[in-house]
Amino acid sequence: MATAETHWREPVIGPEQNYATVSEHLSDLVLVQRTPLWWYAGFGVSMLLFLWLVVAAVYLLANGIGVWGVNIPVAWGWALANYVWWIGIASGGTFISSLFYLVGADWRNGVNRFAESLTLFAAAAAGLMPIFHLGRQGLFYWLFPYPSVMGIWPQFRSPLLWDFFALLCYILNSIVFWYIGLIPDCATLRDRATTRRAQIFYGLLALGWRGSARHWRNYKIVYLVMAGFMAPMVVSVHSIVGLDFAAGIAAGWHSTQWPPYFFIGALYSGWASTLLLMIPIRRLYRLERIVTERHIEVIAKLMLATGLMLAYCYALEAFQPFYRGDQAERDAYLYGAFGAHAGSFWVRNSLNIFLPQLLWIPALRRNRVLLVLLSFGIVVGMWFERFNFVVTALAHDYIPSYWFTFSATIWDEGILYGSIGLVLAGFFLFIRLLPVVSMFELREVIRRKERA
Amino acid sequence: MAAIFGPRANFYTQIVLISAGGVIVALAAMILILPNTGYATDIGFTPPQPVPFSHQHHVSGLGLDCRYCHTAVEQSADAGMPPTHTCMTCHSQIWTNAAMLAPVRQSLAEKQPLHWNRVYTLPDYVYFDHSIHVAKGIGCTECHGPIGDMPLTYKATSLYMGWCLDCHRNPAPHLRPHEAVFDPHWHRTASTPSPAQLMAEYHIHPATLTDCSVCHR
Amino acid sequence: MTAPSTPADLPALRRKLAQETGPRFWRSLEELAETPAFLELLQQEFPPFAAAAVQGFDRRRFLQLMAASMALGGLTGCQKEVEQRQLSPYVEQPPGIVPGLSRHYATATSLDGFGYGVILRHEMGRPLKVEGNPDHPASLGGSSAIGQASILGLYDPYRAQTITQNGQLASDSALRTMLVERAAALGATHGSGLRLLTGAVTSPSLAAQIDALRKAYPQMAWHQWEAVDRDTVRDGARLAFGRVIDTVCDFARADLVLGIESDALSAAPGHLRYARDFAARRRPDDAKSPMSRLYAIESTPTLLGAKADHRLVMKPGNIQHALRLVAGAVKAGPSDWANIPVPQAQELAGLIADLQAHRGRCLVHAGRAQPADIHALCHAINHALDGFGQTVHTIEPVEALPTDGDTSLAELVADIEAGRVDTLFILGVNAAYTAPADIGIAAALRLVPHSIYLGERADETAELCHWHIPAAHEYEMWSDVRAYDGTATIQQPQVRPLYGGRSAHEILAMLLGEARRDDRTALRERWRHASGAADFERFWTEALRAGVVPNSAAAPTRVAPRPDYATALPPPAATAGLSLLYRPDLGLWDGRFADNGWLQEMARPFTRLTWDNAAEIAPATAERLGLQQSDMVELALDGKKLRAPVWILPGQAAECVTLRLGYGRRRAGPVGTGVGVNAYRLRSARNGWNAPGLALAKVSGRHLFASEQHEWLMHGENLIRATTLEQLHGKSPVPEAGTSDASLYPGFAYDGIAWAMSISLNSCIGCQACVIACQAENNIPVVGKEEVARGRIMHWLRIDRYYEGPLDAPATHFQPVPCMHCENAPCEVVCPVQATVHDSQGLNVMVYNRCVGTRFCSNNCPYKVRRFNFFDYSGDDPRPRESWNPEVTVRGRGVMEKCTYCIQRTRQAMIEADKANRPIADGEVLTACQQACPTQAIVFGNKNDTASAVARRKASALDYAMLDELNTRPRTSYETAVRNPNPSIKTS
Repeated sequence: MATAETHWREPVIGPEQNYATVSEHLSDLVLVQRTPLWWYAGFGVSMLLFLWLVVAAVYLLANGIGVWGVNIPVAWGWALANYVWWIGIASGGTFISSLFYLVGADWRNGVNRFAESLTLFAAAAAGLMPIFHLGRQGLFYWLFPYPSVMGIWPQFRSPLLWDFFALLCYILNSIVFWYIGLIPDCATLRDRATTRRAQIFYGLLALGWRGSARHWRNYKIVYLVMAGFMAPMVVSVHSIVGLDFAAGIAAGWHSTQWPPYFFIGALYSGWASTLLLMIPIRRLYRLERIVTERHIEVIAKLMLATGLMLAYCYALEAFQPFYRGDQAERDAYLYGAFGAHAGSFWVRNSLNIFLPQLLWIPALRRNRVLLVLLSFGIVVGMWFERFNFVVTALAHDYIPSYWFTFSATIWDEGILYGSIGLVLAGFFLFIRLLPVVSMFELREVIRRKERA
Repeated sequence: MAAIFGPRANFYTQIVLISAGGVIVALAAMILILPNTGYATDIGFTPPQPVPFSHQHHVSGLGLDCRYCHTAVEQSADAGMPPTHTCMTCHSQIWTNAAMLAPVRQSLAEKQPLHWNRVYTLPDYVYFDHSIHVAKGIGCTECHGPIGDMPLTYKATSLYMGWCLDCHRNPAPHLRPHEAVFDPHWHRTASTPSPAQLMAEYHIHPATLTDCSVCHR
Repeated sequence: MTAPSTPADLPALRRKLAQETGPRFWRSLEELAETPAFLELLQQEFPPFAAAAVQGFDRRRFLQLMAASMALGGLTGCQKEVEQRQLSPYVEQPPGIVPGLSRHYATATSLDGFGYGVILRHEMGRPLKVEGNPDHPASLGGSSAIGQASILGLYDPYRAQTITQNGQLASDSALRTMLVERAAALGATHGSGLRLLTGAVTSPSLAAQIDALRKAYPQMAWHQWEAVDRDTVRDGARLAFGRVIDTVCDFARADLVLGIESDALSAAPGHLRYARDFAARRRPDDAKSPMSRLYAIESTPTLLGAKADHRLVMKPGNIQHALRLVAGAVKAGPSDWANIPVPQAQELAGLIADLQAHRGRCLVHAGRAQPADIHALCHAINHALDGFGQTVHTIEPVEALPTDGDTSLAELVADIEAGRVDTLFILGVNAAYTAPADIGIAAALRLVPHSIYLGERADETAELCHWHIPAAHEYEMWSDVRAYDGTATIQQPQVRPLYGGRSAHEILAMLLGEARRDDRTALRERWRHASGAADFERFWTEALRAGVVPNSAAAPTRVAPRPDYATALPPPAATAGLSLLYRPDLGLWDGRFADNGWLQEMARPFTRLTWDNAAEIAPATAERLGLQQSDMVELALDGKKLRAPVWILPGQAAECVTLRLGYGRRRAGPVGTGVGVNAYRLRSARNGWNAPGLALAKVSGRHLFASEQHEWLMHGENLIRATTLEQLHGKSPVPEAGTSDASLYPGFAYDGIAWAMSISLNSCIGCQACVIACQAENNIPVVGKEEVARGRIMHWLRIDRYYEGPLDAPATHFQPVPCMHCENAPCEVVCPVQATVHDSQGLNVMVYNRCVGTRFCSNNCPYKVRRFNFFDYSGDDPRPRESWNPEVTVRGRGVMEKCTYCIQRTRQAMIEADKANRPIADGEVLTACQQACPTQAIVFGNKNDTASAVARRKASALDYAMLDELNTRPRTSYETAVRNPNPSIKTS
């Protein structure tokens, strides 16, 4: 346990770090350092994937969603799984930067910028999915209540409508929250920038931030309010995604447990994806003294804890159909576990529940390669969870004569892999153009340390 | 070090921000206003016709009844367009050589139908039935406007679903007695039964009139 | 996809079923097996790129349909708003035509020569929908799937449209010149070289013309060929009575029916009438007519067998033995027959006792696929049990020339080969495709100096004849036809020939030198004589209006079987070894409807297969040969070989392979070409129905079936409720019909009309007529095999099939499933744009133009009755634009659709009633499915009107709602299936 002890005392920032060093290190990454090869490589690959998304989307819009594997009864397929999955990944970042800000956890400042940026692009990818999956994509705006000449309004009882609003608010607020967090750092970059182009670029983003006491006062208030606003919102957003299904009558969907189930799953994939990106960046950008073992340790533990909560959810998921004694529901669950799509069920269990138990062991918890692999596994596992959840209930509903299976086409794959490209491309741009860790918040941490 | 932005920068920024806000407001306004402009509703649309037929002359002038030409209006969903023969019942006697009637005579001679340009076009998924509206005391002019005074027929109403619903939600004010249905110049007088009376007489239950299945099949 | 079904371990299944207690419903072997087939399905779930690509692109059938529609000159379904639409009124309005009002005209369709009265609905002069003619004895308002689909055949854009000579376009005058020449040449030789080949002919006027022809050309010969013929029936009559006699059954008077693989409900002349009468006697709660009892002895499942209270599965040979036993026992044959050893003696004993107990009130009927001796035995038994004059009537043959097709065709070929044939006229018989393989008609046709083919399509025969003349569709010509009981109908054209088709009358007239002859006048002349009516004009108009020639039914004859008929019977077939059973297809018949997309995509009642036929084998046989679903096998018979996919069919006789006729067409247009395998390549004249000595070998490869029902576990005891008459009459408890209307909120009060439907599981015979009627009425597009296989069939109404009991001889249940129109509809609350909502009559309405296609409604529909336009199916459907029903929106890509209870009909009726300020009368509105149903299984109406038929049905104790535990409160409910088994027979 000794080692674990020492690790717990591992500082949230290297003791030798001071105002100057952090600002210098982080801003130089953006302003001074030449664009590294790995960046070009990564960005190139992401763009290729993104191109795949464009092609798949064009083909989809031209030919109709028949190009996917969806059918009757399985009328929802990968698109919905992708949607729930991306939204989940998004929530992690918001949760870190809002909730842990409110509880004043110092370690949060090392990672929130990563996480939030990831949130942003993941939410964007999520936002595309429900539109792609419509039969008549061009008419998605009919979900928006505006006084149309048709003289009718949307159906406010429909979970999809709640979802529409939830997602809209979430994306807009995430952008604002993320951008507000950036302003002081943009000012720093503006002041440190040497080239005119950089000065103007960051100058505009900084919105004339001068760091006056008044600025800081207003800033703090706004940020606190936003944080206080985002924390519950991120919970509600994913609960409403859960309601999409809970409000359905399909055997296996019709259950009140999904809101928490989905939210916990969301956080889980959020932590995992954060680690997945943070560890390599930390290494490549030499951030070991700024994003320390402590951060990794904390998130790994969070992951373990959330994983256990999720395990509880899975247990509940298995328990309820049998407890409720509804024939169709029992069948639906057993079908999910042993039927045509059982693969996804067991993949999800192993990757989300069984493997992460390794994190109990401190030594393994500190093995970064293993951590990356585990987080990757969890991100993948979460997708399979969403897929299994969406598809099996539909494939195995009340009327046996309409039990069927789902088999994806390359156009399903195009949308999924392409959306990954979209997110990564965005993320690569972010780490090139903006400070990957919030400089001014680190300075605050150092100040607090000095005070103490 | 030198300032990056000139003293005007703030001013410009404000301009940009304000105008951005302005654009958003403008767009919202467009969405509300545009559909109700004549451009969108096509009210007043007067397509060219093979023969410049004047309802004003035939209906108000000569006092022809609508049903003389639109024979099916009381039995069928379609009001019915008059066959060339109907025109010729009179025009074989009068204006027999009028140049403007040449297409009619040609149609009869060559047994080729006249091709009138539609003034009112409903989408294929809307099933409007003339006969029931007529039977329930909805006058022609309710939808076709002052048709009796049109030298050339033009579109008088938007035919928006919202416009249909206005009446289907509250038909009472639009009802008239049976005998007045085809009167192009009718208006309520002291002797006209009250809307409420008409509603009762026609057995109209507005609650059922807004069922989607009333118009969409 | 459907096909890769999980291997079924049959011995295990038997054990499983043995363990089952109480009724256990199951749907298929895979489902009984309950094997997860883990890896295979993983494979399905994450297909490798290649597999996925195949699914993605290779939608052959679908693309064909697309290509076809392009060829048709544009995307017919595209409903783009054109810049300026036009109104084109008549120059002179035809009397009686009111724009927007539909009109109805009576005529008749015919199948293997026999007529069925129909009434066509016209919109603005276009015939758009076929209904049965209530005044016609062979229809009584009911219709068949084939009859319903005939309207698509009329508009079929792939029908031949031009006269061709040796494949080159030829002019009308060229044709006339040729005919004149032929007439002259043949006249010289008294027509010695003239041969006429037709199908079965019941048309008096055509028969008269042919007689005239024979007078003009005394040396000519008239040959007949029907692939699905009634030779065995005629031979049976010859054996029994010494001459050909037609029998007319009266199921309404039969308390006990014995069907020997009977096609009385599916294909026999008059089957629609039989179905109606039969169903009328299967109403458990009808006090007036007690429920009849039905026995079936058959080798392959029939619609009649599916309704049987006792279904005995036997090989053809055993059936012959069994029937001899029965005959012997009821004194209809030599007494020594009474102790022939046969399997299932216990059931047969019960049957015999029952027969004797119902003397004079029982009816034995055999299908056309049964050998002649079976038919003879049926006559004998019916006679011995005093059935004649009671349940069976004999009439003089309805056909003009009741001749044996195989012999007739064989003679023709012989003549041709002997060079005795100079000119051959083939009138509408696709002999080149349907002729038995051992009669080399195809080769022979090439030898004929002058061959003229009158056919609707450029098919296999057209290819081999010098001249091909496009034939007029039945709805395009003047003619007449007789029904199963001799009733004549004058067929009046519903529309001018769309593609310049000509009628047989016209061709024969030309040959007779009546140059510019008018079919109508000729027909009138003929009937002026035939009818002998004083006021002919009244007779004529009345006959046309009613669609029936008054009292033209044949008078019953009194005949009795020859006492010594038994000695003349051929010996029963051997019962050893595999035998191949050829059977007509419920949709394609003998293949003539192969290019009818509706019939191709119609799920067959037992296999639920679309776009395919298969070697249907019994589970036991599959077990013995180690075969599994969709394996490929090679069928070898008399040296001829054919590869076919395997379909394991419960209730099929062991060692019998059933192969449906009509598939594997070479020239059937883009829709029908190359669908399924061609059974005719094995079929011989000698064994036209049952061919012993079949060799069957498994070959590599698996077949992809497109079955509408996907094979999975069946836990739906509450979907089908079944009981027996005994239980019903309280001798033992009826399975309770639990229902719950619990709700926190007060329900909506439907004080006006409340539309509702009730479907009787006792009356439904699974004939699929309602499915096609729905497709015709509601503009439901055809999607093609690949799309069906991907689970995207568009039928609004489907007929689920359930099995109950043992694997080898299960009881079968059919359950039609339209939209339930739930009062608490789960689909409605989840639609974000209010595209599916309730109306004040309680209908769950679907507003296509509001739908954005989230598909949540389908997910949320427990009955899975919603259908989605994944592609622009309507736009890609090759049918011409003018053939769609203008009263129903043609749905575009990306919108949901479903059964509407034919809202266009209810709405129209309500408007009419409202105009007259009167209530809607019960039965004033018929839904398309209800109107088509030959057995009146479907009742529709206002359930608030307690006097209405539907309200009365719903009041019955037998009425139940599917999945009522979900509290969806469906407006569609079902009548519990009741069987009436013989208590003295212990069913295993």
